[in-house]
Order: sequence, then C-alpha cells, then structure tokens
Amino acid sequence: MQRLGDFRLPPFFNYPPYFTLQPVRETREKQVQLWKDLILEYCRSQKIHTISLEEDFPLFSNPKIERSLSHEAKEVFLAALVSEGRAEWMDKGHKRCLILWLRIQDWANLIINFVKDNGLEVMTIEEIRSGIDTRGTELEGIERSVLMRALRQLEQKGKAAIFKGTSADDEGVKFSV
Amino acid sequence: MRRRPGIAGLQTAAATRDQFRLVGENVAKVRTDVMKEQLATFRSQLEEFARKHKSDIRKNPIFRQQFHEMCAKVGVDPLASNKGVWAELLGIGDFYYELGVQIVDICIATRSHNGGLIDLLDLRKLLALKRKATVESLSEDDCLRAISKLKVLGSGFEVISVGRRKLVRSVPTELNKDHSGILGLAQAEGYVTVEQVEKEFSWSTGRAVDALETLLKEGLAMIDDGHRDGKRRYWFPCVTISSDTIVGEAK
Repeated sequence: MQRLGDFRLPPFFNYPPYFTLQPVRETREKQVQLWKDLILEYCRSQKIHTISLEEDFPLFSNPKIERSLSHEAKEVFLAALVSEGRAEWMDKGHKRCLILWLRIQDWANLIINFVKDNGLEVMTIEEIRSGIDTRGTELEGIERSVLMRALRQLEQKGKAAIFKGTSADDEGVKFSV
Repeated sequence: MRRRPGIAGLQTAAATRDQFRLVGENVAKVRTDVMKEQLATFRSQLEEFARKHKSDIRKNPIFRQQFHEMCAKVGVDPLASNKGVWAELLGIGDFYYELGVQIVDICIATRSHNGGLIDLLDLRKLLALKRKATVESLSEDDCLRAISKLKVLGSGFEVISVGRRKLVRSVPTELNKDHSGILGLAQAEGYVTVEQVEKEFSWSTGRAVDALETLLKEGLAMIDDGHRDGKRRYWFPCVTISSDTIVGEAK
C-alpha cells in the first residue's frame, strides 16, 4: 500500500479517474465521500489544521499515477466538508480552509476529560498547546483559534473560566470540573 | 425362420414382428428396471460417500466441484432444498446460501464504484478478504453456483462473459453489443479513448461517444481528464483486476 510519510493511502488514491470531478451524480457523490474522509483522516494523523488552496498540499496529487486535483475539485471537496461542519473557510475568497477533524464540541470534551484524568485545575494557553502535560496527546500543537473556541464553549457551560495574566503569554484557564 | 410364400407367409411375418416387438418391449422394461435399481443403489452409495467425506467436501473446492458433477450425473441436486437428506448431511445448502448473501453484500457495497458490474476474480478476492480465507479456497465454480441460486431471487444477478473475462452483473442494466465491445477493448489497459474505440470498431465519432456516454451515465465508466496528452479517458472499474485499485469496502 502506498504511503505519504507514515500515512497509509487508500486504494482509490491510485485510480486516475478519482482525480477528475465526475459528472454523473451517483459517481460524484461517491467520489466526494471518499475525498472528504481522506482529507479528515490525513489531517488528523498529521495534525494539520489548515489547508491553503494556493499552496501545494501533498494529498492533492499523486505523482505515481501523474494526476492532480484541479482547483475546482479541491474547492468542491472542501466545500462539502464545510457544509458538514467539518471545515470552515477562513477567508471570503475561499483560499484557506480550517479543517475540523474534531468538531469544536469534540475538542471541548477532549479537554475536559484530559483535565479530569490528570487532575489539573489551572493551565495557561501555551501549556495546553505545547506543555509537557499534553505532549503526545491530540492536544499537542492544537490550533490556537480552535482551542480558544473550545474553551469559550466550556466557559459558556460553566466548566471553565478564561483569564488574562500580566502579559499575553500568561493567558490561562481555570477549570471547574 | 423359414419364409413361407403367399398370404400365410405375410401373416406369419406380421406375427413374427409382433412377437419381436413384445420381446423388445420386455427387454426395454427389464433394462429400465435394472437401471432404476442401479440408480437407487448408486444414490445410496453417493449418500454414504457424502457422509464419509463430508469434511473434505466442505474444505476442498476441487473435491467439492467433482462431487457436484457426480451428483448431477445421477440427477441429485444437493442445493435444491435447504431441507432433506443432502442439506442435513452436508450443510451444503448453508454454505452456498451464506456465500450468496456475501456476494450480494459485496456487489451492493461496490456498486457506486463500478456501476453494478464486477469482475468475477475481483469478487472472489473481496470474498476471500471478507471470509478471512484464501482466494484458492473459494473456487470460481463455488461462486457461479451461489450466483445461480441468487438468480432465483429475480434480482438481476447474472454472470456474463465480456472479452476474456467473466463479469458478475447485479443491476438490471442490459449491455448491448456496442457496450460489450467497449468493455472488451478496455480490458487491455483498464480504459479507452474515443479515438481508440473509433479505430477498433470503425465507428463514427458519434456512435463511439454515444456508447461511452451511456456507459458513463449507467455508472459503469468514470472519466479521467488528467493525462498530459489532454485526451479524455473512460475508465471501467469492472475490468480492473488489480486489488490495488479496488475500493474494497466490503469488510
């Protein structure tokens, strides 16, 4: 099986027609489904949070079969993720896309469970993103904006309180589980 | 018998013919009786055989096929009924029933990829995966028997020959000669171009495009515009054997 780094690529990736937008509805639906799943899985495994349509993204071309997705195709697949709530356009021009391989809700749950399991009460934002405690977990390297949104959700539920320290680096959160 | 001249002679001849006919009928009757008896003996011996070799029949596809052929010769169909001596003896009804259900599963799961046509060898590979067995343990003969039972369901399951291969069709779509021709041509590289089709069959562009577009609409073909020569290719998932490119979702 072909790999991209340590990521195992699915069989359809080697079949040339899947790199061309299919005109027949049922075939197109199948194609979109396959690409949506692949994008989410790949981003999750590589911890990629954003895709830029103006840069090369290794998943969008397969040199082995000499095929690449057209700009239109990329937009179609990402737009499908957006309408499912698994991605968000970061700009009006649809050039950058935030990939929510976990939904904000899922991130919030993940954080609360992590905090419970490790008996933590107060953490700074940076500690969550790159501290020792989160190393090796899915929280490591989490996109800042995604993290803040998840924390705000928790805040609304009364499970956390975001506070500012003396400088921007000290921004932190107190959990009440 | 010495011929006697005149009318008396004719009457004797007729009577002699009648006699022979009666004897002939008797002989035929005796032969039939003997045959019936032999057949009954053979059948019970076959049952005995099946009992003794039940395990081999279940495990070995070549043995299984030869067993089926033996049964056919004496007019026994072990699959005809799920009940009765044979099914109880061998549980063979269950084997083919189970296989049939798995075949239906796989055909449905791959339909959106191949349009309802799947190469028989591909089907066997996916079956082997599903059953966690080797491809060799599931013969082509086994699949064909299971599929022939499926036909009874009237679900449109059929095995057709296209070019050098056997394809299993699980949708009612009929393939006309133009379509079969294109599929046969596609077996070489997995795809065709309009040009290739025109050349191969000496068709007009219109005829070639018509046929290809119909196959595309039926979900049997997918387009590929990504080759650097700029020519559109029509790919046919049902003629691709390599397990590398199967969208094997039948888990």
